[in-house]
Amino acid sequence: MSERTIDRPPPAPRRGALVRFFAYLRTDLRAALAFTYLILLVLLSLFAAVVAVHSPLAQTPDILSPPSAVHWLGTDDLGRDVFARLIHGAPMTLYASFLAVCVGLMIGLPTGLAAGYFGGWLDTVISRVIDTLLSFPSIVLAIAVTGALGIGLTNSMIAVGIVFSPNIARLIRIQTIIVKGELYVDAARTFGMGPARLIVVHIVPNAIQPVIVQVTLLLATALLSEASLSFLGLGVQPPQPSWGQMLARAYGYMEIAPEQMYAPGFAILCTALAFNALGESLRTLLDPTRRRSS
Amino acid sequence: MTKRQIVLLASRLVQVLPVVVLATVVIFGLLQLVPGDPAAVIAGEYATAERIAEIRHQLGLDQPLWRQYLGWLFAAMHGDLSTSLITGQPVVEEVLRRLPNTLLIVCGALMLSISVGVPLGLTAATHVDSPVDRVVTTIASLGVAVPNFWFGMILVGFFALGLGLFPTTGAASLFQDPRAAVMHAALPSVALAMGGTAEIARQLRSAMIEVLGSQYVRTLHAKGLPQSSILWRHGLKNVSLTLLTVIGLVFNRTLGATVAIEAVFAIPGTGTLVVTSATNKDFPIVQGTVFVLVMIVIGCNLLIDLLCTVLDPRVDK
Amino acid sequence: MRTATAVPIITAHEVGIHFPVAGGRTLRAVDGVSLEVHRGETFGVIGESGSGKTTLGRALVCLERPAAGRVLHDGDDPYRLSAAALRRHRRDFQVVFQDPNAALDPRMTILRSVREPLDVAGELPRAERTRLALEMIERVGLNPEFADRYPHELSGGQKQRVCIARVLTLRPALIVCDEAVAALDVSIQADILNLLADLQREFGLTYVFITHNLGVVAHISDRIAVMYLGKIVELAATELIEARPLHPYTRALLSAEPVALPSHMRSHQRIVLHGELPSPVSPPSGCRFRTRCPMAVTRCMQDVPAWREVEPEHFCACHFAEDVGDAIVPQRPGGTP
Repeated sequence: MSERTIDRPPPAPRRGALVRFFAYLRTDLRAALAFTYLILLVLLSLFAAVVAVHSPLAQTPDILSPPSAVHWLGTDDLGRDVFARLIHGAPMTLYASFLAVCVGLMIGLPTGLAAGYFGGWLDTVISRVIDTLLSFPSIVLAIAVTGALGIGLTNSMIAVGIVFSPNIARLIRIQTIIVKGELYVDAARTFGMGPARLIVVHIVPNAIQPVIVQVTLLLATALLSEASLSFLGLGVQPPQPSWGQMLARAYGYMEIAPEQMYAPGFAILCTALAFNALGESLRTLLDPTRRRSS
Repeated sequence: MTKRQIVLLASRLVQVLPVVVLATVVIFGLLQLVPGDPAAVIAGEYATAERIAEIRHQLGLDQPLWRQYLGWLFAAMHGDLSTSLITGQPVVEEVLRRLPNTLLIVCGALMLSISVGVPLGLTAATHVDSPVDRVVTTIASLGVAVPNFWFGMILVGFFALGLGLFPTTGAASLFQDPRAAVMHAALPSVALAMGGTAEIARQLRSAMIEVLGSQYVRTLHAKGLPQSSILWRHGLKNVSLTLLTVIGLVFNRTLGATVAIEAVFAIPGTGTLVVTSATNKDFPIVQGTVFVLVMIVIGCNLLIDLLCTVLDPRVDK
Repeated sequence: MRTATAVPIITAHEVGIHFPVAGGRTLRAVDGVSLEVHRGETFGVIGESGSGKTTLGRALVCLERPAAGRVLHDGDDPYRLSAAALRRHRRDFQVVFQDPNAALDPRMTILRSVREPLDVAGELPRAERTRLALEMIERVGLNPEFADRYPHELSGGQKQRVCIARVLTLRPALIVCDEAVAALDVSIQADILNLLADLQREFGLTYVFITHNLGVVAHISDRIAVMYLGKIVELAATELIEARPLHPYTRALLSAEPVALPSHMRSHQRIVLHGELPSPVSPPSGCRFRTRCPMAVTRCMQDVPAWREVEPEHFCACHFAEDVGDAIVPQRPGGTP
């Protein structure tokens, strides 16, 4: 027969998510480097005016000068300090990447959730639209949308976000279908929980993890798209500095001052690498086959 | 070919139809994204009322939306994608004139990506966690993070300006001057191939690792088949479907990425066309170019789907 | 005990539940099932996996909508209610699932899970809801210290207690226990069954107890329905089924039941019947059991046996139910009309 003693929980050390994250960073050098780099980049963006001595917009007669003690990375064709423009390009880049991904999430998440949760004809229609949008070469579609919305950083990144949305929608749709079949969702339905609350309380928290990974990887894609679009003159407009646009200018004077195209290029490369590395590490960290050991 | 495969092929063809129709809706809908009165926006700030009315009429904006769409679709089916608002030239002519330049570097890049990416991926998969593998994975992660237009600029600086081996910019017709055409396309193709190579190497590596770890291949090992024979005959056969799918994806991406590369190398292709016309608000050209490119991608995806169906009767929907 | 005049808490009338399967065909998981569950009783449903018993249980609490027939709660069709009224109504009809692992959201603390039904109802202040949830956690034999733990920190039996505590917060009229102990260690099974019995007395619950284990169902049920391939083949009071099984399938189940063995050995014993359970997508013609029935004759292939009251309060669907009934001396309970 049953013993009437009350079950007691075993004493388990409880650690917050943040603590676990930092403990993980110590085991993964690549993720630690990427994370540190991105934190530095954010700080640099916040304190750009303090770090860069020169104004990114001030023109001097001293044009296309090589790196020197005054101008660490030289000056561009209008005599502006390249280092200052590089630093001031960082907040532009981060703003652009996050804007694009946020627009992608705002469109992709609700449509994907609706398609996955409600199914039926709604799912058929949304899935077809997703298939269609994924057949468009992404940059070309982004350029076409930018052309329609009007040229500029914000519009071009909204366009990139629109182009991202089917990727996010497709991912969250599949996740929603999986989670929707879970017993705890059925249980919540027997308690009389309505669809809206069910989606917020149970489906989103349990379906979102792969999306977080995808979003981190998309940040890199957004960054590269911003650089391309600014390079093509559809993104950041002069005289505001941006890495892609700096490359476009440097290209024009490549024969005279070839060293000018290295700094912005490496800035783009390193930031994209950092986002990708963080995304890949998150993927490993959140991988369900690796878990359950804690 | 079995009867089942024919049914599958037919169903694939039918499944493409809604995608094509929706694609035309999206392309047509681009104009609806223009804030305010599209005709006024297109005409520019200093346009007269007559000019705005003229543009409105030319774009058919004075008609109800569904009639605009059906008219546009009907004309497009007959190969008429309207005329440029700036030059007055038929859009189809303009796009088709530039398309070969784009396809040349895209196909060049695709071939490079496959011929470099496949051996890289396979080598990495057979030497997992070795230095070779680490080099390949590093190349692969660099390849997707490098801005391709920057890579193109570096190539120009080194091989064209520095060594003088290749022309810096422009394009030539493959039919009139094949040698010049190849020389012009070489650097852009290499620059464009970077991302595709990385993607193919990465995906093939993981697919191959999975196949090599499978029960089936372990049995072959036990039977005493040599490693190289297993790799080429059985491994590659099993990952060929993955490869086909990745190639489809890479083709789509390359066709998009070419836009920035064409700008770097001043190639008069569809990419530069779409950029200049988007900047100039020449929407018939934008719509026409996107239409042609999307149809090429959909056609390519269909071809790959059909190949998958023929190669693997297990592929089921 | 039950009274004949009261409206049954659950009435299933010719219920059919169909699922589309590949190739455009339909799987009739439940096919024309009729039954009544009376207030205060424990109603057992027994069947092999694939018999449709879980699907039937889900239909009883409105988790599957019948494609045919109706499920009535207290004589009324819940699907006639408005969406909001149905959500309020279904709090009275709860279910405890087979797998307590999957029934708890891994991202919620035990307290949040147990309080969830009250949170959804939203009728009480938050502090009161928390108090009631903690009280229920203690009532099912768990230390309140578990409240801020996550499901993966608990054992299977502890999780099942949490699931039971959770449905009890709503003070439901009926609980469907779908293989509620099958996933647990045998030593824990008895604990949970005793807990359920205690709670039934305490809260005046009605149970529908779904299981593949005849030992479990016979031990606690007042009446038993035997399911085979989407249909109920026999239904009667437990003593009646055990004393005088009319359907050959029921007899096979009973004969396979070792009498004096501990339950952990029982659960490994498979019912000795020839052949596999046929696919419910294309069930056998006539009587569905005929492919495995030792008594099957040509007639079984042609005619579907009628579902009928062979003797008072003893229903069966077998062409030869009456013959069997005559063979065993009937002990009619006095006073029934």
